[in-house]
Amino acid sequence: MKLISIAAIAASLAITMPAALAEQAQVAEAAATQTMVTAKVNGMVCDFCARAVTKVFGKEDAVENVHVDLDNGEIHVTLKAGADLSDERVATLVKKSGYDLVSVERETA
Amino acid sequence: MNSLQYAGAVLVIGFALASPEAEARPVSYPGGWTAMQLNNGDMSSIHIHYSPTFRDSIGLYSERNWGEDWHFTGVQYNRLVKRWNTPDSQANVYFKAAAGQVDPFGDGADVEAAGFIGIGADWETRRWFASYEGRAYDLGFTQDARQSARIGVAPYIGDYGDLHTWLMLQVENQPEADTPTTLTPLVRFFYDVQLLEIGYTPESEELMLNWIVRF
Repeated sequence: MKLISIAAIAASLAITMPAALAEQAQVAEAAATQTMVTAKVNGMVCDFCARAVTKVFGKEDAVENVHVDLDNGEIHVTLKAGADLSDERVATLVKKSGYDLVSVERETA
Repeated sequence: MNSLQYAGAVLVIGFALASPEAEARPVSYPGGWTAMQLNNGDMSSIHIHYSPTFRDSIGLYSERNWGEDWHFTGVQYNRLVKRWNTPDSQANVYFKAAAGQVDPFGDGADVEAAGFIGIGADWETRRWFASYEGRAYDLGFTQDARQSARIGVAPYIGDYGDLHTWLMLQVENQPEADTPTTLTPLVRFFYDVQLLEIGYTPESEELMLNWIVRF
């Protein structure tokens, strides 16, 4: 009887463990994934005024870092691992910063 | 003068007139504060405002006019009326209005209700800059008006985060002043959230010193 119980527990673990481990791996992978959002905008020609971009984007929980590229009129936003920032939200933040959004591109590392 | 006449007079004069604030955008990002301190020998002013949206700001404005000997203190509202964003430039039109009180001789006696309205416009690329501002005051005991315009060029194109430098020329017209029209060459520097301007007006032998910070 004891042997049967042990065998049952072992079988149960053998079935459930791989699934749990796979789920944990997926979570860990998602957490390690970092996305960089590049927003191309119109009107961003002044460093002093573009400070608005770092202030506005920097208030978002999902945002880890903001870089402004005046030469190319681009805002590079690095998101926190596993975080997301929708295109609609990017458009809203660009508008709040005083500029017009042209396009959004994403790169996942 | 009743309030309707007051508003009409200010409006009529306002679209022809001016201020020394042609150098600064009067709105910031939502939640942003700006402090401006301007001095040109003829006047000193301080303007602290808060922007609830990128189109509006509201704050306190105080101006001591040394040339005409009055001191205005009031609440100022600024509105971004229109903005044009292109890949290489930005242009803006602003409306400004303030209401408060004026102290005719800056000595605390005979304080009267006063206000002003103004319009401003600017256009800039990373290399070129142009701006205009007109402002009309109703000071109770008198009316006052000014207008100013600027052109500027950046001798080098800095990256984001660099020290930026602009060479500018300002022309200012103030009909009531001893020297109604003046030319002021100036240098503008900005770095991070700080902006500093230093200029000199040969006609009146006055130094211009402006400082702006955003936070």
